[in-house]
Amino acid sequence: MNPVAEEKPTAVFLPGRNPMAEAWRRFRHNIPAMAGLIFLLGFLLLCLIGPWLTPFGFEEQNRSLGAASPGTMGEAGRHWLGTDRLGRDLLTRLLHGGRLSFLVAVAATMVSLFIGVTYGAIAAWCGGKRDAVMMRIVDLLYALPFTVFLILLMVIFERSLLLLFIAIGAIEWLTMARIVRGQVLVLKTRAFVEAARSLGRRSSALILRHVLPNSMGPIIVYTTLTIPNVMLLEAFVSFLGLGVQAPQASLGLLINEGVSAMESAPWLLFFPSVAFALSLLSLNFVGDGLRDAFNPKE
Amino acid sequence: MISACRLFFFGLTPLLLLAACGPSDTRVEEGNRTGILHVGNGAEPSNLDPQTITGLPEAKIVSTLFDGLVELHPETNEPVPAAAASWEISEDGLVYRFTLQPEGRWSNGDPVTAQDFVTSYRRKLSPRLGSRYAYMLYPLEGAEAFHRGETDDFTTVGVTALADDQLELRLHTPAAFLLDLLTHSSWFPVHADTLEAFGDLDEPNTRWTRAGNLVGNGPFRLVSWRPERFVQVEKNEHHWRSGEISLQGIYFYPISDPTTEEREFRTGRLHITNTIPPDRVAVYRDRNDPEFHSQPSFSTYYYRFNTTRPPLDNPKVRRALKLAIDREAITKEVVRGGQQPAYSYVPQGDFTDYRPGPFFQYDPDEARRLLAEAGFPEGEGFPTKEILYNTMETHRLVAEAIQDMWSEELGISVNLTNQEWQVYLETQNRLQYDISRSGWIGDYLDPNTFLDLMLTDGGNNRTGWANEEYDELITQANREMNTARRNELFAEAEALLLQEAPVAPIYFDRTNYLMSVSVQDYYTTPTGYRPYWRVNLVSE
Repeated sequence: MNPVAEEKPTAVFLPGRNPMAEAWRRFRHNIPAMAGLIFLLGFLLLCLIGPWLTPFGFEEQNRSLGAASPGTMGEAGRHWLGTDRLGRDLLTRLLHGGRLSFLVAVAATMVSLFIGVTYGAIAAWCGGKRDAVMMRIVDLLYALPFTVFLILLMVIFERSLLLLFIAIGAIEWLTMARIVRGQVLVLKTRAFVEAARSLGRRSSALILRHVLPNSMGPIIVYTTLTIPNVMLLEAFVSFLGLGVQAPQASLGLLINEGVSAMESAPWLLFFPSVAFALSLLSLNFVGDGLRDAFNPKE
Repeated sequence: MISACRLFFFGLTPLLLLAACGPSDTRVEEGNRTGILHVGNGAEPSNLDPQTITGLPEAKIVSTLFDGLVELHPETNEPVPAAAASWEISEDGLVYRFTLQPEGRWSNGDPVTAQDFVTSYRRKLSPRLGSRYAYMLYPLEGAEAFHRGETDDFTTVGVTALADDQLELRLHTPAAFLLDLLTHSSWFPVHADTLEAFGDLDEPNTRWTRAGNLVGNGPFRLVSWRPERFVQVEKNEHHWRSGEISLQGIYFYPISDPTTEEREFRTGRLHITNTIPPDRVAVYRDRNDPEFHSQPSFSTYYYRFNTTRPPLDNPKVRRALKLAIDREAITKEVVRGGQQPAYSYVPQGDFTDYRPGPFFQYDPDEARRLLAEAGFPEGEGFPTKEILYNTMETHRLVAEAIQDMWSEELGISVNLTNQEWQVYLETQNRLQYDISRSGWIGDYLDPNTFLDLMLTDGGNNRTGWANEEYDELITQANREMNTARRNELFAEAEALLLQEAPVAPIYFDRTNYLMSVSVQDYYTTPTGYRPYWRVNLVSE
């Protein structure tokens, strides 16, 4: 017989419902998103350590072995993906280019994240006329043909990688600002914010401690969706010859080189395009997965 | 981005499919029937004024719109009548007297008179026009002084209209190549009334060259000019030779990417391409493709150094850079179009009897020594310089190869930067570059056409290089009547030029192009001259 003493009132506590953990649980069950994440992590890892795995330097030319097909044996090892017109190992250049593309993408996205979140949060928090003016400025900037603006920036200033980050970041923050503003507008009227305010917290603390953490979901989602956009933009700018400088490679630049050798050396176009397309696809899947995870429709 | 993709898939694809299912006649087939030629022109022309242009893309179009006094027969290279029906040369070779075509007409029907030529040459030489090619007229007595502004009395210049159809040219020294020279666009006449309707006669860049405004005396007249799309010309019914011309019109397309151009050709959208992607030349040559044409051209592909910018103002640095370029590797492994490595500035071949032989060799050790002497041992402390090239795949490849050679052999790093053709020309002219890819195709078959480029303050010098000794040698050579002695003087000048190295020759170019078998009687001479009026189109 069981002692009565052991009959405690069962608590109705479910295991902790941390929103992050919940989101992660939902995300894990999203197959395309997980596949995308795994591919991305794998590709990133390869890009980071890859250049040390291949026996070639990314700018090392072996001109007598120009445009060799995939699998050709080179002096220092096998060219698994062939070589380009100047005899540089495509695999090495691809990994190197991937690294640069991701670097540009992440850095530029961070710039846009910083500007967008700050701007949007301030606009919404201040409200009223200030909000209206700030958001009309955003509308104005939206109307600018942003690629032209970017090209102008690249032409006026010295071409450098840093500037590329800033320039791309500086034109990608507009949507982020709108999203954050919308979130903050909703959150700032919520009871817990009122409560904190009545306890005398300052505005900055309110935004940083209460409002922003609660709008993390949409911010993360949009950030993931910005990265592929930025990669595309970088590819486009490099394609025009305004971005990354030779002999550096980025995925966009490799594809540009590949296009001109499309018929004589199709692998020069194929591999970089496939890597680029898969990266974009994965990032989009991950972004969609995150959106679903943070914003369940159940 | 997503909406753009959707638009593409759902909107454009069906459209493209529809277009593909339309009438099966390609542009070329249609052109064969209607007598319209479609030509790839390389780059968008920067201007169509025969007296201010400097580039080949412009010259190709302009030579269809204007006629010089004479032109060269494409097979024999002998001067044959163009705007002039006949000519006499005085015993001493100093006076040329031309009788103009009795039926010579401008495209608006006005007769072409000797006075038109006088007015045109006055414009060409006027300092205000700022023509970079004004020196082409320097063989004329008094032309140089007039162009330098030493006098504004044009009667001191050796060109006179003796009658409506009689033109006399007087030279200060005999020039054996004068008739060749006359085929160049610098000597083309312009229609003064038209020019004055749009500004002053010697005002550069007025609207007179626009379609609808331009009046020429050539076998074709300008119909429309759509920037970055095409330039369209049609047969000029007023031309004295219009009865002999079967071609009804020509479209020039500014396609700067050879791969795109080749694709256009393959899909029947071009009769003749401007060039061929370098890596495809071997493919075509090996299978003896009847559409493949390759011939030597009187041209040099070279690098210019801006001698006004340190450390490129030091001849040792320039020589080091010149010597560290492995030209064999570039011609055999990079451009691969049958080009010859260049060890002289003037192209070597069967063009002229000037064959001074190689002036230098590939010598990385000497290059390193020179660079160390100039104060940059192992490239230490050498500032990062920039190679400028006009946007084209071949130029990028060559630049990347040279970038690698310089970094490997000399330990110096350079950046690459590309510009669109017109901007690139402007940057060169203003000396706003460090090192620039360049090409020059001779204007006439004589070493002078290359060597006088580098004269102090020459309009096409574009390096800031100035050397009195060199100027003196060229002047002497051009006064010399004895061919052997003249060539010796040229060789001496060229040796000095390459020792000082404001230019680094890379290779002697070839003209490689694809041409549909339906095109007959098409010629391109080593100087890049193309008499389109001779072309006949046959449809199978």
